[in-house]
Amino acid sequence: MSTTAAPPAAGANLLPIADRAEVNRTVRRLFRRHRRALGAIAGLHTVAAVAGLAGPFLLGRIIDEVATGTTLGYVNTLALVLVGAVVAQAVVTRFAQKVSMVFGEEVFAELREEFMNAVTRLPLSVVEKAGTGDLVARTTNDVNKLQHAVRFGVPRVLVCIVTILLTVVASLLTDPLVAIGLLSGVPLIWVATRWYLKRATPGYLRESAAYATVNGTITEAVEGARTTDALHLGAKVRGRLRRDLSETFEAEKYTLALRLRLIPSLDAAVWCAPIVIVLWGGWLVSQELTTVGTVATIALYAHQLGGPVFDLVFWLDELQVAAVALARVVGVGLVGPDRQAGTDVPASDEVRGHAVRYAYREGHDVLHGIDLDLRPGERLAVVGPSGAGKSTLGRMLAGIHPPTGGSVTVGGVPLVELPLEDLRQHVALVTQEHHVFVGTLAENLRLADTSASDEALWGALGAVDAREWASALPDGLETEVGSGGHALTPAQAQQIALARLVLLDPHTLVLDEATSLLDPRAARHLERSLNAVLTGRTVVAIAHRLHTAHDADRVAVVDGGLITEIGPHDELVAADGDYARLWHSWQHE
Amino acid sequence: MIVRPLPLPDTGSPPLTSPARLLTWQVWRQRDVLAKSLLVGIVTMLASAAAPLLLGLAIDEGLAHGFGRELLVWCGLMLLAAAVTVVSGVFSHIWDVENWLRAAFAFAQLVGDKASRAGHAITRRLPTGEVVAAVANDALRVGDMFAMAGRFTGGVIAYVVVAAIVLSQDLTLGLVLTFGIPVVGGVLALLVKPLQSRQGAHREATGRLTALGSDTVSGLRILRGIGGEDVFAGRYARQSQEVRRQGVRVAVLQSVLDGLQVLLPGLLVVLVLWLGARAAVVGDITSGQLVAYYGYAAFLSWPVQMATQMLQMVIRAVVSSRKIIGVLEVAEATPQATSPQNLPPEGSELVDESSGLVLRPGRVVGLVSPEPDASARVAVRLGRFDDEAETGTPVRLGGVLLAELDKETLRHRVVVSEATPHLFSGILGEELDARGRATEADLLGALFAADAHDVLDSVPGGLTGELPEKGRSLSGGQRQRVALARALLTEPEILVLVEPTSAVDAHTEARIAERVATVRRGRTTLVVTASPLVLDHLDEVVLLDDGARVAASGTHAELLERGDDVGARYRAVVGRSMAEDGSDDTADDTADDTTDDITDELEGAAR
Repeated sequence: MSTTAAPPAAGANLLPIADRAEVNRTVRRLFRRHRRALGAIAGLHTVAAVAGLAGPFLLGRIIDEVATGTTLGYVNTLALVLVGAVVAQAVVTRFAQKVSMVFGEEVFAELREEFMNAVTRLPLSVVEKAGTGDLVARTTNDVNKLQHAVRFGVPRVLVCIVTILLTVVASLLTDPLVAIGLLSGVPLIWVATRWYLKRATPGYLRESAAYATVNGTITEAVEGARTTDALHLGAKVRGRLRRDLSETFEAEKYTLALRLRLIPSLDAAVWCAPIVIVLWGGWLVSQELTTVGTVATIALYAHQLGGPVFDLVFWLDELQVAAVALARVVGVGLVGPDRQAGTDVPASDEVRGHAVRYAYREGHDVLHGIDLDLRPGERLAVVGPSGAGKSTLGRMLAGIHPPTGGSVTVGGVPLVELPLEDLRQHVALVTQEHHVFVGTLAENLRLADTSASDEALWGALGAVDAREWASALPDGLETEVGSGGHALTPAQAQQIALARLVLLDPHTLVLDEATSLLDPRAARHLERSLNAVLTGRTVVAIAHRLHTAHDADRVAVVDGGLITEIGPHDELVAADGDYARLWHSWQHE
Repeated sequence: MIVRPLPLPDTGSPPLTSPARLLTWQVWRQRDVLAKSLLVGIVTMLASAAAPLLLGLAIDEGLAHGFGRELLVWCGLMLLAAAVTVVSGVFSHIWDVENWLRAAFAFAQLVGDKASRAGHAITRRLPTGEVVAAVANDALRVGDMFAMAGRFTGGVIAYVVVAAIVLSQDLTLGLVLTFGIPVVGGVLALLVKPLQSRQGAHREATGRLTALGSDTVSGLRILRGIGGEDVFAGRYARQSQEVRRQGVRVAVLQSVLDGLQVLLPGLLVVLVLWLGARAAVVGDITSGQLVAYYGYAAFLSWPVQMATQMLQMVIRAVVSSRKIIGVLEVAEATPQATSPQNLPPEGSELVDESSGLVLRPGRVVGLVSPEPDASARVAVRLGRFDDEAETGTPVRLGGVLLAELDKETLRHRVVVSEATPHLFSGILGEELDARGRATEADLLGALFAADAHDVLDSVPGGLTGELPEKGRSLSGGQRQRVALARALLTEPEILVLVEPTSAVDAHTEARIAERVATVRRGRTTLVVTASPLVLDHLDEVVLLDDGARVAASGTHAELLERGDDVGARYRAVVGRSMAEDGSDDTADDTADDTTDDITDELEGAAR
């Protein structure tokens, strides 16, 4: 992944998907880590499968003994041996299954935890580019898809392979000559499975993407339910869902067509093998090269192979789906860092931008070389028309994206060369977006400072004027908030975001229209809360309401990716430039 | 291949009284595919069941008499049975998949339909995740049951047929098989219930884990910006370990079930073999029959396994359909009136009785209130978004209550665009054109009026470019202007705009104010704002008093210049953005005192 943000176009903004080699590497690594458990699983299942082979073998013996004349006592003995075999098989199977499934649980837990670690370490520039839709799909759909395969599939596949191998070995031991007949099914199985496996992965990838789109459409429909109603967009939403489902149907049809070639081939192979054995065995019997009982035993073995072969195929199918999901889960871990942390320590708290350029798309510079030195403790308002590059400048000043040209430094060290943990101690960005996490209010605040005491939390809430509503919550700091919990207004959510900043305590803050999406009165209220807590910090306030500018120490007017004017409010008004014109029109004078 | 392309055009209206009713309803709706699936499932299973019989006969009649014609005949019959199994297996899979898709898609569509019609009632009643899970998970679990139905039925029939054959040949063995198999099945079924309860606990823990995961991802920007990644990764890991523990509990019980699945049918096979061998020794049955009985005993554990599986799937389908019902049950916030009144003629007055606000045809009016929440509330109820909440505040169009009008017509005639509308992902041009009738010139005109031309550069591909979910790639101001353009393009008889310019800079606001007033000139329009830049361009401004009743009206200039109390209040409101007083609005500023409607309205945004 490149380190610069590409335009957020559809298709181009997806997170990477791991290739086959990478997926194989991950699987091998997981298996190596669980070598011992895998050994135990294989060993136990081998014992169980051996015990399971006793039935047809003893049946063959009985047939031959009956033909030559035998006693009921002999039959009784054989039956007792068989009972022993069944009990042994049952007991061993029980433990084998337990070990396998516990193994599956452990591997799956490891996988998803590794995934979440990778997700929470994604570079910010990548998160903004990819959007959350794809990530949510990977966190939910793909991880859940893996669940079935890892918990049950991997152990099951091992069992099937062990059973198939042992059955073949047992047949060979019983009579290698008759057992040759088993080979009759192999070519068809081989060809069909290879044909299928080659084509399946893209088919399941498409299917997976189609379902993710359906879920995305539903998510949007629910989140935008009010707008849908207001603008009478219901039919449009339904039309989209219909389109998504059609595409899902097409994707399903494709994989179905693939399976429709695989299944009959396997079916035919599995059903034909016993027939070939009986025919071949019949001839051998007529040549007195084997006995009827032996043929019966091996024919039953062949018949018994059907179960594990189909099981194996079923799980291969599932594992294909899982491999696709795994590729998407592993893919998140492949995103490289967007910055290389250095070891330099900032000498001061001064933030300086020098010749800062930035392009979201190559050749489309949004910023054309901006020089801006922040004075420690000052309040700088950034104003200008929409699309002038104010937000981009804010992101540069907060060290979110590395600039495409020039540099932004704090105390002489480029922001993007600071470890993220250190960067946050220096500069923090507050945007229009706010998210209340599922959890308690305290948990929501402690993001910024894990060791903060309750007093510190209350202090931070008080600083942003949120103490009153927070103490009125049913369980105070311990009230569950976020989706499914106590509902908070956007203004309250924003206040939580501000309280986090108080706890984080960076010396420089970049406020990107942090309050603009709320109704004007709430915004002013929040800005007053802010005023109380911003003292002593360097503040860059990107604003569209001029009263913010009026309060600031300096005002920077950004237009067309350049700072056209900068200075105190009064000076700029006196200078009678762009800013003065805006100010007068705003004042309606 | 599947004959009928999906999704089907008609989703129908399902009964929601119980999961059983809902599932039965769907069974009836796809009875054609189910019937095919059942039929072919029976054929497949019967052909499979014939295998042991034919193998036994081949051994008896064929092998015993050496390699000859009879062996070939029996092998030919086995081949025929194999061919039937293979062919019917193909159709069985096709129709199982079609059954699965039909059921899963039907419920996905029903949920989607509900989400598209319920208005804000759905977000108020259910967390988004639950509605999405109804499609992403529950619909699929119901599908599983439908997919299994054919094979299960085939298994049951095959069981009956095989039992009949064996009974007719050997009573003792027949009885052992006929009763032994259900006993084995019954014992195994006893474990299903506790197993399901542990699986339920596991699923619940998994659901929480998934919710935790998607919540973390949704707030990832904040986590990466502020910190707390480790806290959240740790939280996820803890829940993940809880899921693992629950999974191990399932595994312990499941492994017992697996062991029993070997033990009980295995012992039954031994019993059959023992009885058969003794019968063979004394010459009551042939060795071929012995092989056949052995084959049956082994074969019959298959239907038993399928029955256990089917039982689990049915239980899961019932649980899932209950969740689906939970979504489908959500009452629409504004349902269609049972007998809609005749439509008032075009050019009727829209009257909000509680405030006394009257929107006269053709006027472009501003609404100003000392408390912005109050004016927003008045504006929002003009759109009829929540009948339950709005019963006490009647709004009439041409004398008819909004709730009694045909809903679709109302939505076309009166459009209310709220302060923070949702932008959907999709082609920009299509997303702008809510009514699906705008020409490119219309689109560009609306973008011009909303001063949103810059968006064409921000979205690669312009009008034909792809807008990401929630318009994420746009700035807050751009999003608001796109939403404004979209509202203008609906070209309603009456348009209500709530704070349409709160997120844009003064320069842009001035341009928008002028252009929107021009575009809507002569058509009934209400703009809720306190911005003098906007109010100055409107035909008339209505000022509400503290009790949210109409206090005065006039042009912006008139109201500004009035020397009385009204003028002072008006100047205080529209000039307040400049003032740093703070005393008059701290009391009602505490965000938790906002009334219910507003809280509800904003909740969506907070989530």
